[in-house]
Amino acid sequence: MPSTSVALTPGLASFLKSLKTNPIDTSIDNLISLLKRRQIRHSRSCATATAYLLLRVISACRTTDAAKLIERVQSVGRRLVAAQPREMVVGNIVRRVLGLIRDEAEDDREADFNLSEAGSESQPQTPRVPDDHSDSLSGRFEGSDRSSSRPPLSQPAPITMFSLLSHPEPEASLPGTPASASPSGKMLGHTPSKDIRAEVLEGVNEIIDELGQVDDQIAAYALDHIHSNEIILTHTSSTTVQKFLLKAAAKRKFTVIHAESYPNNHEATHATVSGNSTGDDEILSTESFQKPLIALGITVILIPDSAVFALMSRVNKVILGTHSVLANGGLVASAGTRVIARAAKVHQTPVVVVSGVYKLSPVYPFDFDSLIEYGDAGKVIGYEDGDLVDQIDVQNPLYDYVPAELIDLYITNLGGHAPSYLYRIVSDHYRKEDINF
Amino acid sequence: MANSVDSAQTSSPSVPTSAPATQQSTDMSSQPPSQPSSTGASKPAKQPKQPKANAPAAGPGEEKLTGAELKKKAKAEKVARRAREKAERETTGGAGAGPANPTSAKKGVAGAGAGGKDVPGQQAQKGQKHRRGSNSQPSATEQKKKQEDKSVAVFGHLYGQPRRTTIAGAGKEVHPAVLALGLQMRDYVVCGSSARCVATLLAFKRVIEAYTTPLGTSLSRHLTTHLSHQITYLSTCRPLSITQGNAIRALKLAIASIDPSVPEASAKATLSDFIDSFIREKITVADQVIAASAAQKVQDGDVIVTFAGSSIVKQTLLTAYKQGKKFRVSIIDSRPLFEGKNLARTLANAGLEVQYSLVNGISHAIKDATKVFLGAHAMTSNGRLYSRVGTALVAMSAKERAGGVEVPVIVCCETVKFTDRVALDSIVVNEIADADELVPSEPQQQVTGLFDPVAAAAAAQPDPKKGNSKTAAASAPADTTPAPDASPLSNWKDTANLQLLNIMYDVTPAEYVDMVVTEMGSLPPSAVPIVHRMSTNL
Repeated sequence: MPSTSVALTPGLASFLKSLKTNPIDTSIDNLISLLKRRQIRHSRSCATATAYLLLRVISACRTTDAAKLIERVQSVGRRLVAAQPREMVVGNIVRRVLGLIRDEAEDDREADFNLSEAGSESQPQTPRVPDDHSDSLSGRFEGSDRSSSRPPLSQPAPITMFSLLSHPEPEASLPGTPASASPSGKMLGHTPSKDIRAEVLEGVNEIIDELGQVDDQIAAYALDHIHSNEIILTHTSSTTVQKFLLKAAAKRKFTVIHAESYPNNHEATHATVSGNSTGDDEILSTESFQKPLIALGITVILIPDSAVFALMSRVNKVILGTHSVLANGGLVASAGTRVIARAAKVHQTPVVVVSGVYKLSPVYPFDFDSLIEYGDAGKVIGYEDGDLVDQIDVQNPLYDYVPAELIDLYITNLGGHAPSYLYRIVSDHYRKEDINF
Repeated sequence: MANSVDSAQTSSPSVPTSAPATQQSTDMSSQPPSQPSSTGASKPAKQPKQPKANAPAAGPGEEKLTGAELKKKAKAEKVARRAREKAERETTGGAGAGPANPTSAKKGVAGAGAGGKDVPGQQAQKGQKHRRGSNSQPSATEQKKKQEDKSVAVFGHLYGQPRRTTIAGAGKEVHPAVLALGLQMRDYVVCGSSARCVATLLAFKRVIEAYTTPLGTSLSRHLTTHLSHQITYLSTCRPLSITQGNAIRALKLAIASIDPSVPEASAKATLSDFIDSFIREKITVADQVIAASAAQKVQDGDVIVTFAGSSIVKQTLLTAYKQGKKFRVSIIDSRPLFEGKNLARTLANAGLEVQYSLVNGISHAIKDATKVFLGAHAMTSNGRLYSRVGTALVAMSAKERAGGVEVPVIVCCETVKFTDRVALDSIVVNEIADADELVPSEPQQQVTGLFDPVAAAAAAQPDPKKGNSKTAAASAPADTTPAPDASPLSNWKDTANLQLLNIMYDVTPAEYVDMVVTEMGSLPPSAVPIVHRMSTNL
């Protein structure tokens, strides 16, 4: 363990702090051990930690060769994923970064080619489609119109029409999606230098920014989905869901029924519901200062998980957070979600899942059991019941696999999607060659 | 049932000469006005709040008027008095909704559908008035205000009087055995509808043994009233279960059918025997029969899922185990009662292979299940299962698991649990327990409390060392945690807009139940009303 994290409880904050001072290999080991010990738990914390680590790895990797960079990121990524294979977010971030490097490398090559060509033409402003561009050209070209509306990046590169058009966004986001929500961590201003690292780093920074903004972007859709006098049922203390509800609460009055998700998350849920935050260092400090729903005049009814079925007949909408989303539209969410979703289905109540795109993982769940993590049995039966602990098999699953047919709608930072559409977003975000890196 | 109503009412004390007449005797004017002094004396004592103005008004009218007129007049007076009382109460502090709700709730539970409910209903109301009189007025209204604020709107009809907390204010007629039982039921020491039924009957047996008929009345007439006081008390401790209601109705029927000429000693012996045989037939032997026939459903290699802690399911599983069957039991449990723990302990001690998880693990437990055994609080007439909250989730998961194969859901239920009430969802009929039960309790905190000094020291140490803003932010919440040492919910009652809901039961749709095993055989849920009619018309 590095010396800096001794003082703090191991977690995201201590890791990010130690990242600046520690040598890179120590940091990798550090994150691996944090993941293994589950001292970093929340999907977003894992994603942020991974992104920052990869940022360090890339900046420390003194090479201009894209292949070497990819190899390096892959090896680090493999180790991280192996440390906690069920934390799919880690793999997602690694894939995103790999895709970024590949894109930059390709662009680089094209740019060389284009530049030499353009030099002969001596008129770089000519709007032209690079015909030698790769296979999925038509899809990608759509993205290029919109790329001009994206906020200019810090890099003072000469942005010309030529460079805009000749380096279209490789990850075509769909027409109609907000430009700011575009997932690609790519920068526009392209200098024809051999050093792709700076651009990749910029892209990773964008991923990190995206991780910071994702909840707010999702919350922007809240008013489309929550209306006055609705009764919303939710589960666990997911900050994404809380922000979503808070956004709607600013304009509308509704009722929230909150299942407490005992025994794994009930303390956090109680704290979220009552607004008396407990010191959970994984939730970043800004969120712990967030107002609770009750402060906005929203009636919050806390119920035990067992009462979900009894109340479902009065619920208008179920809004769930998730741990990760799979390519088939199913999701891995905290235990208890599946019965809630099922009860909602039985009562014909729509189930809405709010999730950042970073949780979307290209994994197809062939073996559901392998996705499920089991937690501390001591939370189910405390050690004061020692005689029971000896005799019986106590189980405390942390996650449930919820099949896609139980979900009616996904709301990501890109908008609302049907579960059957998610595979498209997956293919937009991850490159085929990176799915099994 | 119909004759039980009449006889119960005629046997109730009826037509006292003074004020209570207005409330009591709506149809008893034909009775001789001469009444024993003992009942007359106890009545006014019980109703200190009765407005005095009624007494002179009723007094002179009684002689001249005919029965029908008297009845009408009494009714009108009753309405007027109620309205006045209500107005009074509203002026004292907006507690006006109080008297209406508890009565109806109580009637609903105690009476459970048959006509006999009128008597306990009225008695219940009287008992409450009595208690309210004993409370100090301002604090009671204040509490009430808070209570109303915290009651979940959808379940508004189920919030009655908060459960009794002490035996203070219980009527002097209430037998000590009943006093004790009431508190035991309130604290879930006696829990489960069969256990509550048996315990009530046994307590009533002692009440009957200790009972002496007052002069001038007969046992069959007065004992029902006497029991009504006990029933009222019990229902203020915790709303009566369906089984209790059914048993009480049967007992009242038995009392009413005793010939007034039978000497007291032999009548009491008859009633004792009746109670014993009721417990034996309807519960003890019934349980054995059910356990034996349900145990036949268990096969080698089965994985049996059950929810919470049903006594009959326990007996079934133990019977099957004794028959040498090899199977595994998976118990699903829930907050806040954790009834499954006891079941797990008993089964594990007996040597069964037990797996235990909470509601969050339902879908995992059900994955390799081959059968689901459920206990019942009651079966409604529309074939739905009314049982501990969470049962519906288990039954639903069993019926709809993704694998495709449905798991049979078998309900073990004595016919005494059948009721002619109907319920479509869990909101119409339910019981609301004290929401404070959901707040994590002290003993649990104490176990983790061992760490507190260490944690506090650890939290205190880094503070002076670190000047970084990030560290400060991270340690800030850590500093605030020791202050609200208990759960963040500990003062939920003072938090605006926050409500806690702790319902006791839910209603499982009939289509999730494949079979109901009763002592009369194994039935589909649709057969419940028929069996109920058969068993009550015997």
